[in-house]
Amino acid sequence: MPEEFDDELTQAFIQEGREFIEQLEPSIIELGQNCQEAVCWEMMNCDHSECPRHNKKLYIPCWLHTGFVDKGRGVCALAKSKQDCLSCRVFQATNGNNEKVNAIFRPFHSMKGTSGFLDFKAITQVTHTAENLLDLIRSGEIKFTRDHIDLLCRALDFIKEALDHVEDCLNDHALEAQANSLASTIQKAIEKAKAKCCPDEKSIAEADTPAAPAGDAGADIPADFRIEITPEMVKGFIEEADELLQQMEQGLLDWLKSPDDMGLISELFRAIHSFKGNCGFLSFKDLEELSQEMETLLEAVKSGISMDNNKAAELLLQLKDVLREAVADISQNGKGEIEGLAGHIKAIKGILPQGEPKSAEGEAPPFLGEILVSDGSVSKSDVDAALAEQERPLGEILINKSAATPEQIEQALAKQEEVKEKQGMDRRRVKRQDMRVDVDKLDSLINMIGELVIAKNMLVNNPDLEGMELEHFGKAAQQMNKIVQDLQESAMAIRMIPVAGLFRRMIRLVHDLSVKSGKKVDFKLKGEETEIDKTVIELISDPLVHLIRNSVDHGLEAPEERVKLGKPQLGYISLSASHEEGKILITIEDDGEGLNKEKILSKAISKGLVEGDGSNLSEEAIFGLIFLPGFSTAEKVTDVSGRGVGMDVVKRNVEKINGKIEVKSKKDCGTKFILHIPLTMAIIEGMMVRVGNCKYIIPIMSIKQNFQPSPEAITVTPDGQELVRVRENLIPIVRLHELYNVTPDHKKLHEGVLIIMEAHSMNVCLFVDELLGQQQTVIKGLSKYIGGARGVSGCTILGNGEICLILDAGSLMEGINIKNEA
Amino acid sequence: MADNQSKVIVGDDLNDEEDEDTQKDKFLTFHVGNEDYGIDIRYVTEIIGIQRITEIPDMPAFIKGVINLRGQVIPIMDVRTRFNLESRDYDDRTCIMVVNINQTSIGLVVDTVSEVIDIPESQIEPPPRAGKGTESRYLKGMGKVEDEVKILLDVNKLLFDDELEQIAK
Repeated sequence: MPEEFDDELTQAFIQEGREFIEQLEPSIIELGQNCQEAVCWEMMNCDHSECPRHNKKLYIPCWLHTGFVDKGRGVCALAKSKQDCLSCRVFQATNGNNEKVNAIFRPFHSMKGTSGFLDFKAITQVTHTAENLLDLIRSGEIKFTRDHIDLLCRALDFIKEALDHVEDCLNDHALEAQANSLASTIQKAIEKAKAKCCPDEKSIAEADTPAAPAGDAGADIPADFRIEITPEMVKGFIEEADELLQQMEQGLLDWLKSPDDMGLISELFRAIHSFKGNCGFLSFKDLEELSQEMETLLEAVKSGISMDNNKAAELLLQLKDVLREAVADISQNGKGEIEGLAGHIKAIKGILPQGEPKSAEGEAPPFLGEILVSDGSVSKSDVDAALAEQERPLGEILINKSAATPEQIEQALAKQEEVKEKQGMDRRRVKRQDMRVDVDKLDSLINMIGELVIAKNMLVNNPDLEGMELEHFGKAAQQMNKIVQDLQESAMAIRMIPVAGLFRRMIRLVHDLSVKSGKKVDFKLKGEETEIDKTVIELISDPLVHLIRNSVDHGLEAPEERVKLGKPQLGYISLSASHEEGKILITIEDDGEGLNKEKILSKAISKGLVEGDGSNLSEEAIFGLIFLPGFSTAEKVTDVSGRGVGMDVVKRNVEKINGKIEVKSKKDCGTKFILHIPLTMAIIEGMMVRVGNCKYIIPIMSIKQNFQPSPEAITVTPDGQELVRVRENLIPIVRLHELYNVTPDHKKLHEGVLIIMEAHSMNVCLFVDELLGQQQTVIKGLSKYIGGARGVSGCTILGNGEICLILDAGSLMEGINIKNEA
Repeated sequence: MADNQSKVIVGDDLNDEEDEDTQKDKFLTFHVGNEDYGIDIRYVTEIIGIQRITEIPDMPAFIKGVINLRGQVIPIMDVRTRFNLESRDYDDRTCIMVVNINQTSIGLVVDTVSEVIDIPESQIEPPPRAGKGTESRYLKGMGKVEDEVKILLDVNKLLFDDELEQIAK
């Protein structure tokens, strides 16, 4: 296969694989949570006391023992066939709902197909064994247990890793050893489960009753094909098939327009390949055969064998309609057989260059004669003969020759009409427009819009216009203002993605943690549809992981303890997202033991993080201590958390995106962490302040309060540090003009304005001349060349083109500490 | 001030590799203090008049601050201060040469910009070894043009000298 398709296909495969994993992970875990040990006679209220299972708890599941699956004895009083067994409540409770298992099975299957096609052996191997496992689970040949969930999760982890690897090196050779070991682990688990589920001859012999039927229900089906096709599976197949056919159709039409686009061919190939796989899997033989031939044709096109591509496309379009009809037939409980299959296949062979070049179908719908031939209503020679003397409509000739009955012709004509109609419709159908865009391109677009906002401000507030009466200009400016604002909003919206993906990943985390710690957790997600800037999502992922780990590990008590405290055994953790006043709140809440104020305080004192006995600290301030570096109250360090790194990282990450964390906790009732996240990082709500003739922006998020102090509220310590009293707190004052060496209007504190800023759970007062007002600020980085400057997080360009620095409370505070120490 | 001064765009595409040949041996010469200097033309993206510079705290003296160049925030280095020369007030002839190196744009403040000249490699002498001060480490060589000597600067060293990296940290 030429390399360029390979590349493209591989990229698509990686993308698709990742999407699959994202969907699969939660559904696998959900499946595991819903499945339980079901005892058949209890669950079904069965009173058959002769039943060998009655009043017993056996490992071997009932359907393999007294039921009708595989070597089951078929003596169950409640079921009459294998179908009954598989739809029985006991089966569904143990091995999971058929539909759900299938939903997991299918992605594994298609991943296996594609990776096999692309020759990623390691991935194929793992997906193949995982698929096997799932197949045995859904066909009931083994009993589903929690171990299987772990294995499937591990398989997903492996695939994830392999995809990363493939992305880097375009092959997965390096992972083959790992794949081997994982596959053999899964295989072993399968064998173990099988052995355990193998009907124990002795116990069954004991239980044998003369009433037991002699024949084994499942015995005559060859082992490899013992897949029970349920209506749900068929439904899934039809849905998927419709989608694939739709894709194919669009692809073919596009191909007709641009016959040289090899990317299209690859896409088509994949579609037909998946379709074929699905058909084969559900053993729709005719469909499989035809799609196989179509695949061959596409393969030939792909490998560059010269042929009439237009004809090939036309033919494929027609065959696609044939497939569609067959699928429609299946949806109406038909068998999905294709009439005239041989004719279609012949047509394909005809187009392939190695066969004799046969005239393929022309422009639009197939000729009547062809339909009749392929229907098997008339023979080819009859049609040819008729065509030879064609003066009258073909149908009439055929009737006259009594080669076909009028009804047959009528049907064929109707079919022709139908095809024509469908093709008309096909052309109108629009493909859903979705496209992947390079993030860099998006960033540059958004940057440019940022510039536009600035440029607009420069124009509208141009100093040259001052004092002029410009009615029309004003109107135009207003209009422009609105457009620019809309533009900015929609550009921002492009970057917004729902938090669902991020949240779903946490399901796996909670699952793993709960297995490790032995704590059972009821994990609830809320507000998954809330949208946040993509970069922000990436940045809050780590903090979320930390917080959730903490909740499971430290927050929730062990099950026994919970019972003692009168709480439900199942711990509760919720993760929710919501909008509030231009920011996003992400809340992590648990019903665990809550933060222990005394413990935190004494720990902080012993580590020298708090001076004195800390009795003056508010509850909020105490909780804030947990975010200090090196702080941990956990008595034992687990491998999950408790080392005292983490919370400070959480805080730092959240502050990096101009957000903040709020902690609420009540002893024995639980803890709540609320992350306040700005909608986007590119724009902040800022307060502009003035010192002398310099202007600065302070993010509103970090401002707690501003006021004019009375002279009495100020105290000066012997070393010259000024403090201001605000209610019960003494807050150090930083004179911005001293910090930045500018000449202020006011030097006396009570003449200017003090702004209380908060960072790292500490407060600082900033002394400035005047507040100029609140405004939306487009953040720009200072040049890389300069790096970071003390107390500055970036800058923005004002309406008049001037650059204005954005102050950062956190780094201001660090600057002060250095000053104090020096 | 800056508005009525003519803006010379030396070329935006000067960094393209295809242009490498045409840019070879070409130097933009400028004046700082009593000497003529020259820098490799391929680093220069444009020359603008002096503009309002926003100061940044805690920067070394030769970093004057940042300017807004059509929406781009670029730092400004005063070449005089960089060479430890006495500073003087900016005037009509003061220019900012915007150079781009390693994807970073930086403005260099110089007294005046003169012209673009050819100095073939054969006419370039290595920098004097027995330099008095440390400033000679920014030198790439001495270019001889007729009977004048132009001091050719190594832009990379001028911008990314160790001293500066330490400050950035």
